[in-house]
Amino acid sequence: MTTDTTASRVHFENVSKFYGDVLGVNRVNLSIPPGITGLVGPNGSGKTTLMNMMVGLIQPSRGRISVLGITPGQPEELFRKVGYASQYDAFPPGLTGYQFIESYLRVHGFSAREAEAMAWKAIERVGLVEPAKRKVAGYSKGMRQRIRLAQALAHEPAVMVLDEPLNGLDPMARAEAIDLFRELADGGLHVIVSSHILHEVDLISDQVVLINGGYIVAEGDIGDVRDEMEEEHPVQVLVRCDRPSLLASKVFEQDHVVEARILDKGQGLLVRTRDADKFHLVLNDIVMETGIAVEAVAPADADVNAVYQYLIGSNGGKL
Amino acid sequence: MSDLTATTVPGARAGLPWGQWWSQLRAIVRLELRKGFRRSFGLLLLALMPPFIAAMHMIKAVRDTSDIAGATQVFAGLIYQAFTLRIVIFLACVLIFGNLIRRETLDRSLHYYFLSPVRRELLVVAKYVTGLIVSFGLFGTTTVLAFVLTYLPYDSTAVSQFLFHGPGLGHLASYLLVTFLACLGYGAVFLFFGFFFKSPAMPALVVFGWEGIHFLLPPLLKEISVIHYLQSLCPVPVSEGPLAMLSDAPAPWVSIVGLCALAVVLVAVSAWKIRRMEITYEEA
Repeated sequence: MTTDTTASRVHFENVSKFYGDVLGVNRVNLSIPPGITGLVGPNGSGKTTLMNMMVGLIQPSRGRISVLGITPGQPEELFRKVGYASQYDAFPPGLTGYQFIESYLRVHGFSAREAEAMAWKAIERVGLVEPAKRKVAGYSKGMRQRIRLAQALAHEPAVMVLDEPLNGLDPMARAEAIDLFRELADGGLHVIVSSHILHEVDLISDQVVLINGGYIVAEGDIGDVRDEMEEEHPVQVLVRCDRPSLLASKVFEQDHVVEARILDKGQGLLVRTRDADKFHLVLNDIVMETGIAVEAVAPADADVNAVYQYLIGSNGGKL
Repeated sequence: MSDLTATTVPGARAGLPWGQWWSQLRAIVRLELRKGFRRSFGLLLLALMPPFIAAMHMIKAVRDTSDIAGATQVFAGLIYQAFTLRIVIFLACVLIFGNLIRRETLDRSLHYYFLSPVRRELLVVAKYVTGLIVSFGLFGTTTVLAFVLTYLPYDSTAVSQFLFHGPGLGHLASYLLVTFLACLGYGAVFLFFGFFFKSPAMPALVVFGWEGIHFLLPPLLKEISVIHYLQSLCPVPVSEGPLAMLSDAPAPWVSIVGLCALAVVLVAVSAWKIRRMEITYEEA
């Protein structure tokens, strides 16, 4: 690992955490680049443990963690670069939304003027300007989620760690939050987002880390992860076309195709292949040769949901 | 990323960043005061009790308004040493300092501090300073109020003579010093307990018992109590009854330095403890 890489990534080196005899996470090795990284796994799989270790709220039993080259044991440097919105739905008592953000910016060491400007900017970004002067205790769950998000990003960190940030948000706020994550990631930030809802993460992540039972089961670009599984779990491709029987007979001649199933109403074909790239080339040839009218070609199991299902046998959806 | 990146982000400078620590300490104290002590009815009730006792004495004293020496004994023995110092300030320190960390562990908001670029040791010091400001602010005022009420019904010329030409103001200054040192010493003890016990009630009860039987203890054991040093600084000696074990009072400088040293050691151990603290609210 070079110094340059260390300084621009979040690293876990052989990290384990045990709570007494109970395993939190085991032998985690990760190197997280900038962009949106989805940390996916069922409840209790170790997502929050990983995130809490990343920011030093808990310490690993073994191994080493560094965030942009800074260890969690150096909070004075670390939290100038890291913002963390935890899952704890609790706030210091008696504060308004604005006071909550502004007070902790002052604790960072910002002057009153800077803290005020930065607090309002963060509040604006999460769309809470109107209720900002009200006590946080009176906020709805979605508003509390957003004010935590604002607190995490108020000091303009380079790494945002967000534990289940979309929980409790209505569809509109959810879409706005996702846009915000995208905007932050496009600006070169690390946005590390945990979720137990697969399609949500699939939608927003540049790369995913799949975790189950304290073990990392896969990591990287979801397409690449899926490609690596082609041999064991052939890729399913859905082809909507006008003569599925003819297409089925043609694709069956290919040795990489292991199954071709005509859809119920005869509107297309579901093909399972061990080499998706080759299949797409062959499909072009077949269409040219036979004149079959192809309406759509889409992967049927290349999303994170399917990958997770193959890896750990989960039913997908809400884990 | 944004137009705010131009703002001055405080960072590490050469040497120890005292300026930054000072501004962070002030910010934490400000935040603690803002969120912590506004609606503490228990504290307010405790603070009102010494003036209340003094007011009761005032009603009684109306019958004989010339006995300034008697008033001095009542204030020293009953109102200050027996009540304010041994009960009110003690309990207030349990409430204030015992909950400085524990309250935020219970309401699950301590992590916000842990996620700030602030040394955890500084956090402990700032919280302790907040406790001192609140406790001394409250009980210093209470002491002055009770003192004033105690002498209020007496002949104004005699009181004026006692205050400005006698030992009166010196007494008041000594009581304020003792109040401050009591907050400092008991505060450090209960801050320390807050890190080692889930509830401060049991250790507080033990310390209360120990401090309560202090007058029965042999001289060597007396030295392991906060009240031993505080009592020695009180301006008016008070009889502890026929069962009391007599011992030499420590010199004032020994008491002051000893209590300050105790506070420094206990706050330092608490700071060492918080450095290793993990946020596992489930176990709180």
